[in-house]
Amino acid sequence: MKELLQKHKQYLLTGVSYVIPLIACGGILIALAVTYAFQTHHVNALGGPDIDHCPILIQNISKIGATAFGLFPAVLAGFIAYGMAGKPGLVPGFVGGFIAGMPQTVDGKTASAGFLGALIIGLIAGHVVNLLKKLPVPKLLRPVMPIIVIPICSALPVGLLMLALNVPIAIIMLKMGHMLLNLQSGSQIVLAMVLGAMIAFDMGGPINKAAFFFGVAMIQQSNFAIMGACAAAICTPPLGLGLATLLNRKRWTEEQRESGLAALGMGLIGITEGAIPFAAGDPFRVIPCIMFGSMVASTIAMLGGVGDHAPHGGPIVLPVVDGRIMYVIAIIAGALTTAAAINTVKRFTEKTSSLEGAKSS
Amino acid sequence: MKIVAVTACPTGIAHTYMAAEQLEKTARKLGHSIKVETQGAMGIENKLTESEINGAAVAIMAVDIAIEEPERFDHIRKIKVPVQAAMKNPEAIFAQI
Repeated sequence: MKELLQKHKQYLLTGVSYVIPLIACGGILIALAVTYAFQTHHVNALGGPDIDHCPILIQNISKIGATAFGLFPAVLAGFIAYGMAGKPGLVPGFVGGFIAGMPQTVDGKTASAGFLGALIIGLIAGHVVNLLKKLPVPKLLRPVMPIIVIPICSALPVGLLMLALNVPIAIIMLKMGHMLLNLQSGSQIVLAMVLGAMIAFDMGGPINKAAFFFGVAMIQQSNFAIMGACAAAICTPPLGLGLATLLNRKRWTEEQRESGLAALGMGLIGITEGAIPFAAGDPFRVIPCIMFGSMVASTIAMLGGVGDHAPHGGPIVLPVVDGRIMYVIAIIAGALTTAAAINTVKRFTEKTSSLEGAKSS
Repeated sequence: MKIVAVTACPTGIAHTYMAAEQLEKTARKLGHSIKVETQGAMGIENKLTESEINGAAVAIMAVDIAIEEPERFDHIRKIKVPVQAAMKNPEAIFAQI
């Protein structure tokens, strides 16, 4: 059972690995166009960005971004199925995922099964193809299997299933977004803390991605607060650790101080992985400290009403963030917390650890 | 001993390459010769050739995702571990050889 779950996690992560650059591209381009619209006071009656009256270049940037973003459910489901069943998995995965991305009208609002639908249908598509592959086929018919039989016999049931699931999943997504918007401030804090802890815990690993994709899914439902909290938490582990090496140089080896500078750079562009060189060498002291710092950052961002329109984090997304001042405060507070925590912990557990020493442990 | 390895993580910008570095370092320390193929966000880098795979005694697969061209390793003994294991405790992997 455990092995089965492990395998499914691997399939999901395979899809995720193909889709990360796509959503970064789409999300950032859309956010760019939205920012331009707001900066130049192109605002529609509802207070949203009015892209249609922006210059043609901005309209096109928005269109290209929307296209990349629109491909995301199809590519995600396609490559989840690909990870499970190889090439033949692509067709039902793409088809099912594309259907999951289609906008649905629920109670007069538009929503889509999106991310959640794509995850589910990608796994189903992979299983369907693997079943079809097992069919005993006479040698004569074997060449038609991969190009005719499997694509049709997998895309059809998978597509039908996704069409049936579309509205129910869209309702779930809509409800989830709605519920999150209406959280009382107490539960808001809890949510922000959980997200911050998850983002920092494995620094870009599967748990970090779970929180990150939750934020991305909520952007699609026009709830930008979740990603806002994630965005602040994403950059504080590398920023905080880099800061720690600058604040108290003698507690760190030369090698670590060098990694510290690299970590600062990575933090600025929102790459949590920058913290890994520190955590890999000293996980029991570093990971709690960066989790603490990220929780501080995400909580401040959430309570400060920070919203992030791009599926990415760190200071680099500042132009597309709502509540910029609070966003900056959240990041600074989180990074300072991390730095102070790790330097204090190091002071009280004075056992010199270096990157080298830890590698042989 | 001749060893080949593949590393691949979901994001493919950090863990993949750090795991590769750890495997190379550890192999050198233990006196093995190793070639590590990385399958990160840039796709396959430092690709293992057929003869390199055939000439190796074992393949270490430090992967969190389904890799590209897995059929190349069908006929060779494999040790499968998560990427984290290769970063944190590479010695334990080599002990399994």
